[in-house]
Amino acid sequence: MTTSTLLPISRRGLLALAGAGLATAVLPKQLLAQSGGALVIAAGQDIPNFDPHTATGYSASFFMRNVYDPLVRVAENPPKPVPAIAESWSVSPDGTEYTFVLNKAAKFNSGNPVTADDVVYSFNRALKLAKGNSWMIRDIVTPDSTTAVDANTVKFKLASSFAPFLQVLPWIFIVEKAVVEANLGEDSGEKYLMANTAGSGPFTVARSEPGTLYHLARSPSAWQPGGGNLEAVIWQIVRETASQRMMVQRGEAHIAVDLTSEDMDSLKDAAGVVQIIEPEYRTFSIKMNTAHGPLADVNLRKAISYAINYKGILDAAGYADIMTGPLPSTIFGFDPKLASYETNLDKAKEFMAKSAKPEGGFKLKMVHVSGLEQQRRWALIVLDSLKQLNIDLDIVPMNWPDMVTACKSAETFPDLFPVYQTANYGDPDNIAFAAYHSSRNGGWQNAVYKNPEVDALIEAGRKETDPAKRVDIYAEFQKKVVDDAPDVFGVVERRKLAMRDNVKNYHFTPIASNAIEAWGLSLG
Amino acid sequence: MLRFILRRILLIIPVIIGLTVIMFIIARLLPGDPVGLAAGPNATAAEIAALAAEYGLDKPVWQQYLNYLWGIAHGDFGTSLLTRRPVAADLAAYLPATLELVFAAMLLAVAVGIPLGLVTAVWRNKWPDYVSQVFAIGAISMPRFFLGLLLQMCFAMWLLWLPLGGRLPIIAIPPPKITGFLTIDALAAGNWSTFVLALKHLALPAIAMSLSPLATIMRMMRSSTIEVMQQDYVMTARALGLAPRKIITKYVARNAVSATLTVIGLYFGWLLGGTVLVETVFDWPGLGLYATKAIVSQDMMPVIGVALVIGLLFVLSNLVIDVLYGVINPKVRYS
Repeated sequence: MTTSTLLPISRRGLLALAGAGLATAVLPKQLLAQSGGALVIAAGQDIPNFDPHTATGYSASFFMRNVYDPLVRVAENPPKPVPAIAESWSVSPDGTEYTFVLNKAAKFNSGNPVTADDVVYSFNRALKLAKGNSWMIRDIVTPDSTTAVDANTVKFKLASSFAPFLQVLPWIFIVEKAVVEANLGEDSGEKYLMANTAGSGPFTVARSEPGTLYHLARSPSAWQPGGGNLEAVIWQIVRETASQRMMVQRGEAHIAVDLTSEDMDSLKDAAGVVQIIEPEYRTFSIKMNTAHGPLADVNLRKAISYAINYKGILDAAGYADIMTGPLPSTIFGFDPKLASYETNLDKAKEFMAKSAKPEGGFKLKMVHVSGLEQQRRWALIVLDSLKQLNIDLDIVPMNWPDMVTACKSAETFPDLFPVYQTANYGDPDNIAFAAYHSSRNGGWQNAVYKNPEVDALIEAGRKETDPAKRVDIYAEFQKKVVDDAPDVFGVVERRKLAMRDNVKNYHFTPIASNAIEAWGLSLG
Repeated sequence: MLRFILRRILLIIPVIIGLTVIMFIIARLLPGDPVGLAAGPNATAAEIAALAAEYGLDKPVWQQYLNYLWGIAHGDFGTSLLTRRPVAADLAAYLPATLELVFAAMLLAVAVGIPLGLVTAVWRNKWPDYVSQVFAIGAISMPRFFLGLLLQMCFAMWLLWLPLGGRLPIIAIPPPKITGFLTIDALAAGNWSTFVLALKHLALPAIAMSLSPLATIMRMMRSSTIEVMQQDYVMTARALGLAPRKIITKYVARNAVSATLTVIGLYFGWLLGGTVLVETVFDWPGLGLYATKAIVSQDMMPVIGVALVIGLLFVLSNLVIDVLYGVINPKVRYS
């Protein structure tokens, strides 16, 4: 090895130094330090549309949570409603009337105060457009049933009592009526709000480069109490999860939101990186065709539910927890005493014997999203498990749009259909209604399962306002669903976020936690 | 010459019509329910129908087709079902990024490939030739995304010389948009430091894209040079005692290049349609990623738009190559 007589440094060390010198010219980290207080979030999804009443996806949720304000926000774990534009609220005893008192300090980015009129306008606009998150209040808030009692009070008269109402409100955002009205066009201002904003949120759009980044700057008129020291938030689009990981490692991003279990493992000893691995309400299960074909036989479904190798399913899932019924174990209303399925070949054979085809010897079809390695592995585990019952499995990879189309009728729906479901609001009603209510038949969340008793329980659960009674209703619901065995209950995936350790005041909330709410955060 | 170019440009019209017809037919033949998919899992049948009506998808196909042609004539490429954004605006945003990448890759491939081809032909069956042959086989057979990852590991993670991805550091303000090519726009704005940053971001993806055409161009140049070198007039030139360097650069290279031009033209089109993997690895906000996302969700308007633009560019690049033949070799000049 050659060593310079002047500098006691090896050639390799010299190269590294040169590299570091170059790095200062290349790495955004240094540039970031100059700008001060900009939180960089590396995320895979582009923000396609700024309109809070039509946009969907977690990137859009991120955008809305930071640029717009809802009446109430969701915080803490388990999630609960906290004041936003509304500083307080009251509910009538029958649960059909909600009165919100608005925070007088609430101001739009234009400087105008947020009035009851704006709130009424926003809810009616969401319902009229019937896109985006409006399904959450469909048939519950009806057009023109929302009234402005005075400039600071809004009253909702719900079509029927709806227990999760305060849990869906964080996803309906308030726009400034005057701004939308001035740019109405022919489409209720959809074109205008697609690329412009009319919000009261703590951040405003400073720069947007589709496909690359969205730079939100702290609004000079931010009125929200309890903010951190962030001057800006940058949503940077990084499609590869491995690149997201490297960016957090190198300090080029403060938060990465789409990491895989493998990414988390390789970050384990990374200096300055904090890992957040928390249960959220994203479930994975395998829906069975309860209406057509061999699996219309409940005994066969139970036999399969007992035959599945759950340990294998869990191992293939990375950071996850096994489900013991239709609801995630951390959500309100989950029954810890629920008796459910586990791997038990004797019981599987017992139910097999009761079924119409006790000897097996037939073939089932399972589809999965092509290219999704995890689903393919699960399909192989199912194949292996079913062999013990002398059942063959045909595994068919499909494109997601084709899978959705297959859900339209019981005849086209495959025997086994793996699916992820994400709760959009923190209440068991969300999962129960979307995944088990028969009104959803024909859609991918619940293509075929139909049980009038279960329907009645779901409807009772969303109407009941007494939490104790709701717990009972959902316990009954879980028991009934487990008894019908419409799904192979799989796993609840844990949310995997990586953060630099200089991100302060972060508190995990198990709802849309990848749509980071930046106002309370600080950079240390 | 002018008439030849005009005639070729007029030929673009049937190409557009053909492309749109084919794309429309494919869109119809595909199973699937793009409207239902775009409306989301919680939409009611009425909401899905309303969305279809809003996009004119409830009309007969021929009417949708005529509306689309009418729109194109007015610069309107339709609206994406999924993002609700006008396709024309998306194309304007993403196409320059892809073009910049493809041009940079082709520039590299040509600037390195042609001289290397010449050199290896002159020194054929000597060690530079063997080394280049090994390199060519490696470069052609290496998948581009893998090469991209390797380059990232090496230059962005270990050496820290170049950035991981993107077109500019996030804090750098892009130059005012003129061409959409960040390097050119930065130069036009006189912003030297932004130009250097843009170039550094361009380097790795451009290298990853360029290796395979570079190797092909090099091999092509080598074989056509060898062929030309065996021609009688080269022998004559030698016999007359012309300097070998002059024979190679003035007479041989010029004749050998025209055969290589065809490959260059084809590769240009091929790269345009094949940027997606490199764009994914380097977070390059280009057309490939945009099209892939649209294809996966059966969002047909962006898909048709991208197919049209790439088809057009393919036709144009072939036209440019045909004209270049004439420039390089007067014998094939068109009249």
